Amino acid sequence: MSVGAYSERPGAKAGENDGFSVPWSRPRPKRAVVSARLVSAITILVLLAVWTVSASLQLVSPVFLPSPAAVWAKFIVVARDGFVDATLFQHVLASLWRVFAALIAAVVVGVPVGLAIGISRIGRGVFDPLLEFLRPIPPLAYLPLIIIWFGIGEPSKILVIAIAMLAPVALSTAAGVRSVSRERVDAARSLGATRAQVIRHVILPSALPSILTGLRIALGAGWSTLVAAELVAATRGLGFMIQSAAQFLVTDVVVMGILVIAIIAFALEFAIRRVERVLVPWAGRE
Amino acid sequence: MPHLTLDKVSVHYDGQPAPAVERVSLDIGKGDFVVLVGRSGCGKTSLLNVAAGLVEPARGQATIDGRPITGPGSDRAVVFQNDALFPWLTARENVAFALRLRGVSADKRARRADELLSLVKLGDAGDKRIWELSGGMRQRVGLARALAAEPEFLLLDEPLGALDALTRERMQTTLLDLWAAAQVGVLMVTHGIEEALVLATRIVVLAPGPGHIVQTFETHFGRRYAAGEPVRAIKADPAFAAARAELTDAIFEGEAA
Repeated sequence: MSVGAYSERPGAKAGENDGFSVPWSRPRPKRAVVSARLVSAITILVLLAVWTVSASLQLVSPVFLPSPAAVWAKFIVVARDGFVDATLFQHVLASLWRVFAALIAAVVVGVPVGLAIGISRIGRGVFDPLLEFLRPIPPLAYLPLIIIWFGIGEPSKILVIAIAMLAPVALSTAAGVRSVSRERVDAARSLGATRAQVIRHVILPSALPSILTGLRIALGAGWSTLVAAELVAATRGLGFMIQSAAQFLVTDVVVMGILVIAIIAFALEFAIRRVERVLVPWAGRE
Repeated sequence: MPHLTLDKVSVHYDGQPAPAVERVSLDIGKGDFVVLVGRSGCGKTSLLNVAAGLVEPARGQATIDGRPITGPGSDRAVVFQNDALFPWLTARENVAFALRLRGVSADKRARRADELLSLVKLGDAGDKRIWELSGGMRQRVGLARALAAEPEFLLLDEPLGALDALTRERMQTTLLDLWAAAQVGVLMVTHGIEEALVLATRIVVLAPGPGHIVQTFETHFGRRYAAGEPVRAIKADPAFAAARAELTDAIFEGEAA
């Protein structure tokens, strides 16, 4: 791999890399966005087609890969009659409730912690190492400890998800607080704002776009912790449903559960982007 | 009568080998329009920040009516080059900010904000969001917001610096109108020589290394506008051209070519 491919000097390694270096340096035309979406759509359709064909030709045993039709049929059945004593809707509700309860806990703890990191040296000294310690640990690693400490009830499940959400919320809040414009703070102070008023009326609203980005990342992180959280002593929830199905090799329910988790994650992401547009319409326009 | 006074003020920033400003004294009375000019690095903004209470002088003292300045306060409202408005508030809410901090009731402060917006000729822009306003309009909102605090002094840090030439010219008369209407003392930092002459009652020329006063001019062009003479006529006056040449010489005096 030659460095010349990335060079913007016209004379550099001429001839050898011309075909690659020229397009990089040009601004992309707008239709490139559309065609990227088109490619994504085609990719998904092709994968669906391959899945359908390989399932109908029985290239892979249905135990390993059920057909799309079977998964769809299962979706209808589970939605109507349920699986392991709860309907699909009840499973979804149980999981959503855990994730949102965890989100509220993560915001209640994470936003003040992020604020402390952002505005005070002591706050940063205390919380920064704790968060950096917590952040890279996979949920499955601390799950046993939480069960030892808090038992196998609902609080433990919510706590597992909340811990995964804490770092993104706190660190995004801190980043937002630190990026508050000096002039805005000075202007508010010269208009007579006390320190508390500066925090309430300038720093928090300034940091709001960043906080919402943190919530979006946290929802993603929390949702992907779901299966771990519902590993022990759950009776409802999408993660629990998938694990129960796996134990009985009901592969179509497993695949269906995975797809439902993915679709809900996508919907959550979409919803919070809408919330961002309503709550912080000024973001990116200053 | 209120006075904003800097007495032999030196400013020395942490980690800098030399002071930014050394032993500068200024006195601004109510009704004065004092303009600081000078090349980059002469400490204009540092001095303004000392007056604002945003920078603490290393030596010397800043006082207002004899009381030492220990921090920012609404008796000295600051307007910055980048408007520093709050984008989560409407124009009206921005103007009413100082009143909200004081706990003034919602409809009272809305009424006062609308009055001030009319004063800066933005009477119908109260509901607009900040990003819907042009640069000149934003600075008008910034000025109205500063006046809402009912300051004794306005501290203007290159308030017109980011505007295009035409808007800038129009804003100069707006500033003069506000200065006359609000009965405040003004301390302003600018790069514009003509702007300084049009606005000031006194021009203080600073030079760098470290920042010190090289010359002070008493001028009268701003008062002539206040007395009803149009700005174009003032600028066309040969006396204006002469003052401009003299001021330019003072600013660039001693600078290596």
